[in-house]
Amino acid sequence: MDEKLQNTARKRRLQYRLISLCSILVFIGIWYLATAVLQLAPSYSLPSPVKVFQTFITKLTKTAPEGATLGQHFLASLQVAFTGYVLGVVIGVPLGILMAWHKWVDIIVRPVFDFLKPIPPIALIPVMIVLLGITIKAKAVLIFFSTVIPCILNSYSGIKQTKSIHLWVAQTFGASRRQQLFTIAIPSAMPMIFAGLRVAMGSSWMALVAAELLASTKGLGYMISVGRALLRSDLIIVGILCLGLIGIVISFLFDLLEKLFVRGGKER
Amino acid sequence: MKNLSKRLGTLALSLLGIGAVIIIWALAVRYTRIGLLLPSPWEVVKRFAYVCSHTIGKKYTVFGHLLISLKRVLIGFAAASVAGIILGISMGRFKMIEAIFRPIFEIVRPIPSVAWIPLAIVWFGIGENAKFYIIFMAGFVNITVNTFAGAKQVDENVLGAAYMLGASKLQAFFRVVIPSCVPYIFAGMQVGLSTCWMAVLAAEMVSSTAGIGWTITSGQENGDMVQIFVGIIAIAVVGLLMAVLMRWLEKVLCQWRERGS
Repeated sequence: MDEKLQNTARKRRLQYRLISLCSILVFIGIWYLATAVLQLAPSYSLPSPVKVFQTFITKLTKTAPEGATLGQHFLASLQVAFTGYVLGVVIGVPLGILMAWHKWVDIIVRPVFDFLKPIPPIALIPVMIVLLGITIKAKAVLIFFSTVIPCILNSYSGIKQTKSIHLWVAQTFGASRRQQLFTIAIPSAMPMIFAGLRVAMGSSWMALVAAELLASTKGLGYMISVGRALLRSDLIIVGILCLGLIGIVISFLFDLLEKLFVRGGKER
Repeated sequence: MKNLSKRLGTLALSLLGIGAVIIIWALAVRYTRIGLLLPSPWEVVKRFAYVCSHTIGKKYTVFGHLLISLKRVLIGFAAASVAGIILGISMGRFKMIEAIFRPIFEIVRPIPSVAWIPLAIVWFGIGENAKFYIIFMAGFVNITVNTFAGAKQVDENVLGAAYMLGASKLQAFFRVVIPSCVPYIFAGMQVGLSTCWMAVLAAEMVSSTAGIGWTITSGQENGDMVQIFVGIIAIAVVGLLMAVLMRWLEKVLCQWRERGS
């Protein structure tokens, strides 16, 4: 009886999977019909899926029209994002922990960050351009800004949410302040810290694309802005899908890291 | 009495932090080469007071620009909320709808909302519709994800109890499913609103003729750093107010359940 139930459940799942597959196929089919066969939209505004795929393949090797292959754009974006992100994490997480753990640091530094928090990093782009030009440095600093604030805030509230009972137990057993921090507060804040890293990744990725749209000579954001200037929406769609794909890969990597480092529940 | 003095002390120290930043800013502008590029804090404050009654650009004061941006955000955000909540709940509750729409949604989800800007401009031109579309996409994804998670986490025991007590499907839906989704929906709307606010800036910075994002780009084009800073401060203040407003709404509307932090 139990096996039979499992069997039907499995069949159900398979059925739903088939429906999912069909829905993607139907979606692409409608897209194809509307563009290539019926030509409802002019090809400069919505190219057919075949055209998009072709552009993707040719962009892998050809540099026209904006002077770099897809791989080069990708590396350029990733390099900038990685530099700023790592810097932001390395500075932001310890600072957040410090703020939560030492009251003095908290009282003095906290209001500064409350003040900085609501500024969207995108608004800082012109300032960065004026101060540092349209170099990699300007973008890295921008990414740093959009990373460091979520990192600080999340590790701060992670540490603040440490159960005081756990700390009391540690105190009773004679743990020093330092031991309490490293064996109790930080591990129990880990899920929150990771949630912060994730948020930071999302916002820094967005800031990077915005920066590349506004001023740059390389990168995926630059590629889509050229696509707009030349009315090549196939190029734009390829760029957008690549950005999405990278997002998926990154969040997958985060899942792996989280499984490795975080014990206990995952913060939503 | 002791409490009061302690609180005053904390306040003074907090102000010390912000004051230190402003003083460092002022000193850096006055005594180093940064002064050639950055305005001093006093200039920014003075200009802010000035543009409250005088126009930036041709037509609007700073409040006018803010209102234009806010109007765009509100329209896009309202549409995104309606669409996101409907899609999220129906995907979370009906397996069939999930099977159909989830894969397409998963393709759209990881695309940063800013990346839609060029495509939106090609599709809708540089008018209002392109901006509504960008803002819609920014809010829609966040709200749908959260609502979907909430609809998946409806307590099946509670739902079963409702059915056992003779609730119809419709009643169970409106009395059990929706109330238990609301905290998640609000979480999504909070994140969504702040992303929308960011998206409208980006959209206005790429192409527009009015709005708070435009004041920043026009400041950049005219080499007017003070105007850029005024824009940034106005954006930050409005963003902060929005967050506070959403939190207050959540407190009022979701009294039955406190979400952590």
